[in-house]
Amino acid sequence: MLRLIALFSLLLSASAYAEELPIFDSHIHYSHDAVEFLPPEKIAEILKKSGVKKALVSSSDDRGTQLLVKHAPDIVVPALRPYRKRGETGSWMHDPTIIEYVEDLLKRHKYHAIGEFHAFDEDIETPVLQRIIQLAKEHDLLLHAHSDADAVDRIFKAYPEARVLWAHSGFVRPERVREMLRKYKNLWADLAFRSDHDDNGKVVPQWREAFEEFPDRFMVGTDTFAPERWLYVEDHARTSRAWLSDLPKDIAEKIAFRNAETMLRLQPSQ
Amino acid sequence: MRVAGRLLALVVLTLLATGTANSAEPVLSQSQIDKLLLHGPWPVQWDRDPSNRVSGNPNAIALGRDLFFSPKLSGNGKMSCATCHHPGRGWTDRLPQGLGTTKLDRNTQSLFNVRLNRWFGWDGQNDNLWAQSIRPLLDPKEMNASAGHVVKVVNGDPELAEAYENVFGAAPDTANLELTLVNLGKAMAAFQETIVSGRSPFDAFRDALAKGDEKAASAYPAAAKRGAALFFGRGNCTFCHTGPNFTNGEFQDAGVPYFLGPGRVDKGRYAGIGKLKASKLTLAGDYSDDPAKTGAWKVRGVRALHRNFGEFKVPSLRNLTQTAPYMHNGSLATLEDVVRHYSEIDVERLHADGTRVLAPLHLNDREVKDLVAFLESLSTG
Repeated sequence: MLRLIALFSLLLSASAYAEELPIFDSHIHYSHDAVEFLPPEKIAEILKKSGVKKALVSSSDDRGTQLLVKHAPDIVVPALRPYRKRGETGSWMHDPTIIEYVEDLLKRHKYHAIGEFHAFDEDIETPVLQRIIQLAKEHDLLLHAHSDADAVDRIFKAYPEARVLWAHSGFVRPERVREMLRKYKNLWADLAFRSDHDDNGKVVPQWREAFEEFPDRFMVGTDTFAPERWLYVEDHARTSRAWLSDLPKDIAEKIAFRNAETMLRLQPSQ
Repeated sequence: MRVAGRLLALVVLTLLATGTANSAEPVLSQSQIDKLLLHGPWPVQWDRDPSNRVSGNPNAIALGRDLFFSPKLSGNGKMSCATCHHPGRGWTDRLPQGLGTTKLDRNTQSLFNVRLNRWFGWDGQNDNLWAQSIRPLLDPKEMNASAGHVVKVVNGDPELAEAYENVFGAAPDTANLELTLVNLGKAMAAFQETIVSGRSPFDAFRDALAKGDEKAASAYPAAAKRGAALFFGRGNCTFCHTGPNFTNGEFQDAGVPYFLGPGRVDKGRYAGIGKLKASKLTLAGDYSDDPAKTGAWKVRGVRALHRNFGEFKVPSLRNLTQTAPYMHNGSLATLEDVVRHYSEIDVERLHADGTRVLAPLHLNDREVKDLVAFLESLSTG
């Protein structure tokens, strides 16, 4: 009987813990079409209702980010996305006018990161990307890269002290993510839009090994790549808490919010 | 295999020769022909549904037909299944969104070849046709009935009650409403299994190619042939619309917005999986009549992925000309609108999780018309 009571108490505390676990959403966009459909007040409400205590927000164009900074300054950690509209993900690296756009914004606003940007393989060698990397160095900004492993290598080659958040962890297998994390101490890995790290709330063994080897390097993110997906933020936070509760508490808290705070050099949450 | 290869090669050469004679004639490559042949023969062999013990039973089909067309089953006694799935309107209603007790959020799917589905409904919230047949009956926004009402109607109608007893071996059990409702769903499913589209011009073309019958293949319109070359070639439409029923039976984000209004979205497959997992009426459940639980692995194995949010069923393309308007919310009125949507698809709305399935084709006006001609050829006319 006592065992049953103890088990019940354990389940209750796990459930309460899962409910309370704050989330730092490290991959979120509030682009022009989202601004059109969902006002910043609504976005702030969604984030608060979802228990998202902090969010690394970027947008194409930058107006959405600035709107959210005004409406939810305690939540939003602004990142500068080098796109004037969402349609530039595949062409921006060949567009020299992007540099002027980014430099102008850097003069006018405060940011913690540049990204999320899309760049693969030799894209990193283009003058636009090289200048973006240089700007990150000059302004001490994190680079949030939706890239393959080769592009990540090239970023670190250009700027060995760079801090890089690898979006979607490159959509590569956990073994490959671990290789990259071993290779670069300033590389962090977001898990946005990946569903392979858990199976119905249970962390799969390959990912568990990755989280245990690098408890300080992973983080969660929703990726609101289409405006409708803002209505997924709450579901995402809930499902994230579910699989995180399958990890030791300290690792779960790190992935949920502490790693993003450390990566962005923010004041740690209590 | 060698014989088939020679026949196909002959067809390719024939088409090439035709192309030489007239530069406007299409050329289907060997790879395109290989893909095309996988879209038949039609109709596919009929197999009874092992989860439904009255599947294929003529008495059950007759009972199911009566139930399907009976408005008495609905809450207000005015709406039957056929109100939205009208046989004279391609087994749909030809409205952008269905109309139940209120305007619905989604387009009414046609019932042509419905038995071939793996998942049912735009969100796949059921894995079998009998459960799917019950769903609209009980939905307050659709037929707005209760299990008690439906069973009472059947029990109170001497003809329906007798037909029920004939099929299921006992009178409708008013003490076990769920069981009786499931049985009624199985009878309605037995009827809907008989709704099969006929052979189309495409089927004749496909079979002619399979036999190497140049003369028969030449009867297929030139525009449709050019459209086929796009469908099985550059357009890669067959990636999702594959097999004899022109669907992979799964779900895709087709770049169609899914806001329902301010602050509301249609979560699509993501919500459908939640409902499926919560349902007792699945192939893995006690109501399946199949001791082997064939197909139950699907519901046991499926789980909601991030990508499922805003995904909707890849529909069959058969008899498309009878089932306008198109897409999950009926937002595209014509086949040309559909082709132009994919031709200029906004890839920024889609996520590149691995290989990007959809990409803008930038078709010119003639190519749009050709692809429409091909799609029209999938209908029985």
